[in-house]
Amino acid sequence: MTAYDPCTHCEEVMQQYMDRVLTDSERAEAEKHLDECAYCRKRYRFEETVRQYVRQAVAAEPMPVELKTKLAALRTPLQ
Amino acid sequence: MSETTREPDARQIATEARDRVRFEEEALALSDQVYRVARHLVGSREEAEDLVQETYARAFRSWRSFQPGTNLRAWLLRILTNLNIDRGRRQQRRPDEQPLEEGDYFLYNKLEAAGDGDTDEDRVVERLSQNDVVAALSEVPHDFRDVVVLVDIGDFTYSDAAQILDIPIGTVMSRLHRGRRILKQAMAEQAVGT
Repeated sequence: MTAYDPCTHCEEVMQQYMDRVLTDSERAEAEKHLDECAYCRKRYRFEETVRQYVRQAVAAEPMPVELKTKLAALRTPLQ
Repeated sequence: MSETTREPDARQIATEARDRVRFEEEALALSDQVYRVARHLVGSREEAEDLVQETYARAFRSWRSFQPGTNLRAWLLRILTNLNIDRGRRQQRRPDEQPLEEGDYFLYNKLEAAGDGDTDEDRVVERLSQNDVVAALSEVPHDFRDVVVLVDIGDFTYSDAAQILDIPIGTVMSRLHRGRRILKQAMAEQAVGT
């Protein structure tokens, strides 16, 4: 059995913490550790930045205008 | 048949036409978001365009089966993912056979180690290019990528993603967890090599 390592635990729950799906007590525990640990805090801020970065990177390619026109043409003609 | 029995029919037709027009307008207003998700669910831009067109054609045909007041974007994505499955692109290794991925801190640690000692998280992330991110996402196996794209790019809840993909919510959570790790591993490889 390995000893409990709060940083390893923090890493394991990081994504659920960011998704806000931890229970109140798990969340409080994660926040307490982040307050105390600069190593994990830095990685938490990085994770937040990465999520934003991924979102921006994939949004950079807009929907082609021609596709929009084609979709509008699929509408049922008015009687 | 008397006028009094025909009148409600005319009203009904007019109401239905109005509902249909409203449905189509609301669906079209979501097309950018639907395309953005589709673009990263499939391999190429052409494939995404075809899939989105097919989705809208089917949605407009079966608009009556949409329940007003429920999530139209999720409904459209459900059609899209079903069409995508029908196309038979689901040939891949089972999740159990995927290689084990690194932990959540892997990407940061890798980028930090490759840098010149600068540990500022904003500057560390700048070592990734947009192309790195897009290329890395395309490397994530479909089952994992679908969930990552829906939740992290499409902003769907776990529950919406479960309904769209027709999988249990626990599976959404486990695939999301692994999918994000695989993505970050691929981003690290794109940015600094293995």
